[in-house]
Amino acid sequence: MISNSKKLSIALCGAFMAMTIGCASMKAPATADVAVSKAAVDNAAGAGGVEYAPVEMNSAREKLAQANKAMTAKDYKLARELASGAQADAKLAQSKANSAKATSAADALQDDIRVLREELDRTSK
Amino acid sequence: MNKRNITPAIFAVAVLVSACSSMPKTTTLLDQTRGDYVVAEGNPSVARYAPLELKQAGEALAKANASARDDDSSADIDKLAYIAKQRIALTQEVAKQKSAEADVANSGKERDQLRLNQRTNEANQAKANAEQSWQMAQVAQNDAAIAQRDAAAAQRKTQEAQLNTQDAQARAAKLEAQLAELAAKKTERGLVITLGDVLFGTDLSRLNAEGMRTAQKLADVLTQNPMRTVLVEGFADSTGASAYNQELSERRATAVQSALLEMGIARDRVAVRGYGEAFPIAANTSEQTRQLNRRVEIVVSDDSGMISKR
Repeated sequence: MISNSKKLSIALCGAFMAMTIGCASMKAPATADVAVSKAAVDNAAGAGGVEYAPVEMNSAREKLAQANKAMTAKDYKLARELASGAQADAKLAQSKANSAKATSAADALQDDIRVLREELDRTSK
Repeated sequence: MNKRNITPAIFAVAVLVSACSSMPKTTTLLDQTRGDYVVAEGNPSVARYAPLELKQAGEALAKANASARDDDSSADIDKLAYIAKQRIALTQEVAKQKSAEADVANSGKERDQLRLNQRTNEANQAKANAEQSWQMAQVAQNDAAIAQRDAAAAQRKTQEAQLNTQDAQARAAKLEAQLAELAAKKTERGLVITLGDVLFGTDLSRLNAEGMRTAQKLADVLTQNPMRTVLVEGFADSTGASAYNQELSERRATAVQSALLEMGIARDRVAVRGYGEAFPIAANTSEQTRQLNRRVEIVVSDDSGMISKR
C-alpha cells in the first residue's frame, strides 16, 4: 500500500514537475518574444514609423498590448503569436520609414541636380 | 420517376464533396500572400538588394503553407500567412530603400560633377571678363595714343599755319615795300599804281624810257610774287568825242600791258580795261587838271590773284 501510495505520489510529483517545466518552457520564450517585439516597436517608432507607416505602427502596438495581456493571463501561446505579429508589423513599419526617407533624400538630390543643370545651361549660354 | 431524377443530383453532390475534400485547404489571405511572394520574387531590385529578407519571407510562407497542408484552422493559417505577408512587404520596402540609397550615391557623384562644371564655367567666365577688360584697356590706351598723336599733328599744323601766315605777312610787307618805290597807294581794291600821261610816248601806244623803268620795277615785283596779277585800267580826259577817248584809254592800258609782256610776264596775269573819260580824278576844267585825268591805274591783286571790280 505504502509503496503504492509512494508510487502515486512520485507519479503526481513527476506530472507536476513536467507541467511546471512545460509551463516554464512556454513562459521563457514567450517573455523573450514579447521583449524582442517591444524592442522592434521602439526601434520602429524611433525611425519615424509613426509618421511614415501609421497603420503598421498602430497594428504593432495593439498586438504588443494584447501580447502583454496574454502574458498576464499566462496564455503564452497567444502571447508568442501576438508578439511575432507585432514584430512583423514593427519591422515593416521601420522599413517603410527608412525607404521613405531614402526616397525623399534621392528625390531631393534629383531636384538639386535639376536646378544645377538649369543653372549650367543658363550660364553656358 | 422520382428516384431516377434524384440520382444524378446525388452524384453531383458527391463529386463536389469529393472535389472539395481533395483540394488542399487555403484562405484568402494565404492566397494573397502567395501572390505577393510571386511579385516580390519577380522584382529584380528585391533579388539584388533584399535576398536575405526574401529568404526569410519564403520561410514564413512555407510555414503558412505547411499549416494549410496540415489542415489547421483558418485562423491559425491566417496568423502565419499574415506574418509572411508582412515579411514580403518588408522585402519590397528594403529593396526600395536600398535602391534609393544607391540612387543617392550616384546622384551625389553626378551633383558633384555638375558643381565642378559650374565652378569651371564661373572661372572661365571670370577669365573671359578679365581678358575683355584688358582688351578694353588696351583699346583705350591706343585711343589715347592716337588722340595724343592727333593733338601733336594739329599743333604742328597750327604752327605751320602760323608760319605760313607770318610768311604771307612778310611777303605782303615786302611787296608793299617794293611797290612803295612805285608810289603805290593802298586802296580798298588793293595797291594801285598810277602812271601819268608824261610816261607815255607821243603816239601813246608805247611807254617812254621813264615809263619803261617804272614798268620794269613792276615786272620785277610780279616776278617775285608769282601769285599776284594786275589789272591795267586806262583813262582819258573829256576833250573830244567819247568814242575816241574810249579808244585812247584802251591804247594807254595796252601800252603798259605790252611793256610787261616784253619783260616776261605771262599774258593771263595782266588784264586790260579802258574806261574812256569815266572815273575822272579831277575836274576837266583846266589843262593841268585834265592832265591828271589822262592816266593809267595798275591794280595789284591780293595773294590769290583776285581783283575786286570797280
